[in-house]
Amino acid sequence: MYIHKSVCISPQHTFDKINLEDVVASAESKMTVIEPKYENIPLNILRRMGKAVRMGVGAAMPLVRDYPELNGIIIGTANGGMEDCIKFLYQVIKYDEGTLTPTNFVQSTNNAIAAQIGLSTHNNNYNITHVHRGLAFENSLLDAMMLLKENPNSTYLLGSVDEISSYNYNLEKLGGWYKKETITNSDLYKTNTEGSMAGEHASMFIVNNRKEGSSAKVKALKTLHTDNAEEVKAQLKIFLQNNLSANQQVDLFLTGEDGDSRHNHFYTSCEELFNERTAIARFKHLSGEHPTVVSFALWLSCFILSTQQVPSNIFKNTPDNYRDTKPINTILIYNNCKGLQHGFIWVEK
Amino acid sequence: MSRIVVTGMGVISALGNSVNANHDALIKGTCCISSLELVKTKYAATLRFGEIKIENHQLKNNLSVNENNVTRTTLLALHAFNEAVADSRLSNVELASYDTALVAASTVGGMCLTDELYHDSNATTDGSPYLASYDCGFTALYLQHRYGIKGVVNSVNTACSSSANAIMFGARLIKNGFAKRAIVGGTDSLAKFTINGFNSLNILAPQNCRPFDKERNGLNLGEGAAFLVLEREEDVPSKKSYAVLTGYANANDAFHPSSLSENGEGPYLAMKESLRVAKLNPSQINFISTHGTGTENNDEVESRAMMRIFDSVPPFASTKSKIGHTLGAAAAIETVFSILALSNNEVYPSLNFTTPIESTGLKPVTAFHKHNIENVMANSFGFGGNCSSLVFSKN
Repeated sequence: MYIHKSVCISPQHTFDKINLEDVVASAESKMTVIEPKYENIPLNILRRMGKAVRMGVGAAMPLVRDYPELNGIIIGTANGGMEDCIKFLYQVIKYDEGTLTPTNFVQSTNNAIAAQIGLSTHNNNYNITHVHRGLAFENSLLDAMMLLKENPNSTYLLGSVDEISSYNYNLEKLGGWYKKETITNSDLYKTNTEGSMAGEHASMFIVNNRKEGSSAKVKALKTLHTDNAEEVKAQLKIFLQNNLSANQQVDLFLTGEDGDSRHNHFYTSCEELFNERTAIARFKHLSGEHPTVVSFALWLSCFILSTQQVPSNIFKNTPDNYRDTKPINTILIYNNCKGLQHGFIWVEK
Repeated sequence: MSRIVVTGMGVISALGNSVNANHDALIKGTCCISSLELVKTKYAATLRFGEIKIENHQLKNNLSVNENNVTRTTLLALHAFNEAVADSRLSNVELASYDTALVAASTVGGMCLTDELYHDSNATTDGSPYLASYDCGFTALYLQHRYGIKGVVNSVNTACSSSANAIMFGARLIKNGFAKRAIVGGTDSLAKFTINGFNSLNILAPQNCRPFDKERNGLNLGEGAAFLVLEREEDVPSKKSYAVLTGYANANDAFHPSSLSENGEGPYLAMKESLRVAKLNPSQINFISTHGTGTENNDEVESRAMMRIFDSVPPFASTKSKIGHTLGAAAAIETVFSILALSNNEVYPSLNFTTPIESTGLKPVTAFHKHNIENVMANSFGFGGNCSSLVFSKN
């Protein structure tokens, strides 16, 4: 599967002019997106959209314009639509189940984003929303890979959206998934406490089987559910053996280390599988933590592979001359959600 | 290409809590639409619902669930999941293996706990035990954890067509070599949230719904769950198999967030593509389990789309006149009913029908009878224009 164009709306400068060297700092321990002007969406429609739908449609429209004949729309989201869900819930309680306005209810299901993209682009083809929390994007990616085996000449829109809404922020905070202390993203990996930092983003990709003009190739994907770091490491080892060609090495191991002291051992034990020829890098100081954050890592990987510009702030450890001399041809992404849902994505030039 | 067969089924609905109990009620033409007894809402007595009259503590007890964070949506799923797995005689080792996939659909998820969610989303301390139970991924995660499933695990939400897409995704995982077997289905329970949501759209009928009737005036919400075990035919030569999943398709109506286009483009494309995948002519479909919600919009549009495809529309009916609209579970439950119809050569009637819609003249089946069925189609359409059709055929 080849990724062609991609768009990312994130807490960093990723939409218009991409600048990943000047990292935008978090505020109040949250990393919220820099929203563009959404010039592709008519104002009257834009006003009615919740933030998740707005981010998703806003990231999709610049891509869809160039690919009017898309064969399907595949979206991963864990919390998409939930802000509207809560708004409707407030109506139910406030008006004691009286006469309510349905707009929030209709937008409250997770499939509102994929549906709105389909509606905005008059696309009658395959349309699906995967919602498997921390693997919602990986399962969307798997769906796209299967579709391209089934329909080799097709082109799909693949993407993910998750927002910081009052709904999930409070629930996650209460659940102990965000740090109790106030921190900024520059210190995300320096603390030794439980919890990470809330984040949000939307990214969209055009995918097909055509190598020409592509920015990256997704070679393989593996997901698993376990709380055992040794099992994750063993599965990653098998994944490496299955996918590493002769004379090939992983140039960059990009991990979802999220500053939560309960998760560090998953990442450090997987890092042990690599020698000094592989640089170790992290991305959540750019995106914050959220269930479909791995698609930000995929967008970042496409950016690195196609431009050979590697933001200096992502390295965890690396040989001194790494950045100047070494081309990046192969990136392995490993992310886990809450120490239970794990995914490996193999991306190469 | 390998054929995908159904080797196990499990279901719980207002009609009963097993495949056999549902089958008996379908033959008798029982209607289980009633007033609400277990969900607290203003509309408990004034609207009609397909409620399962088993309380959560009973379900927990029956299922040996001891955790304090399991919602009704997940309990219903576990009940149907267990029946399907036992029916297919999957061992615990097979269940936990790296090549067993699980795909669960839901559109209400843990929002059945409407009041708890309201509390938790406003709280800064003192969260309920359900903090991680509200999303639509919780059910699959719970089943995965309970049985140690190591293969691909996924959750799908395309509103009212969710579980059709779960079935389709599971079959494709097997066909593409990502799983040897897939346990697929959907679940949803009645909730103050959805009752008020559908009520705000003015599409809840004050009396029992009347699918495809000229005087229809809305749907009844229901609850339930169904799961199926899908396997590759050549992997299980000695197992009983109910049916072959021969066709499936997903299309989008791309017309309006909560209603279907006049011409039914999405339903038409889903049905047409599922026939193409099944390599069948329209005339080879002997029965259609329609989406048939009983709303003004759905039934007329679905009829029109059927008439576009079928020169002569085959016998059809809607199960929603007996169990209500079970949302994310609907397609999976209706799949189980369709497979029962197929494997027993039976047609189960639609209830409460008297007069056809003027513009279509179509009449659903209104009496139980024996009827040779080689291929059956099951439709489900959802908000957001998400339309899916499945085709099952005799072995």
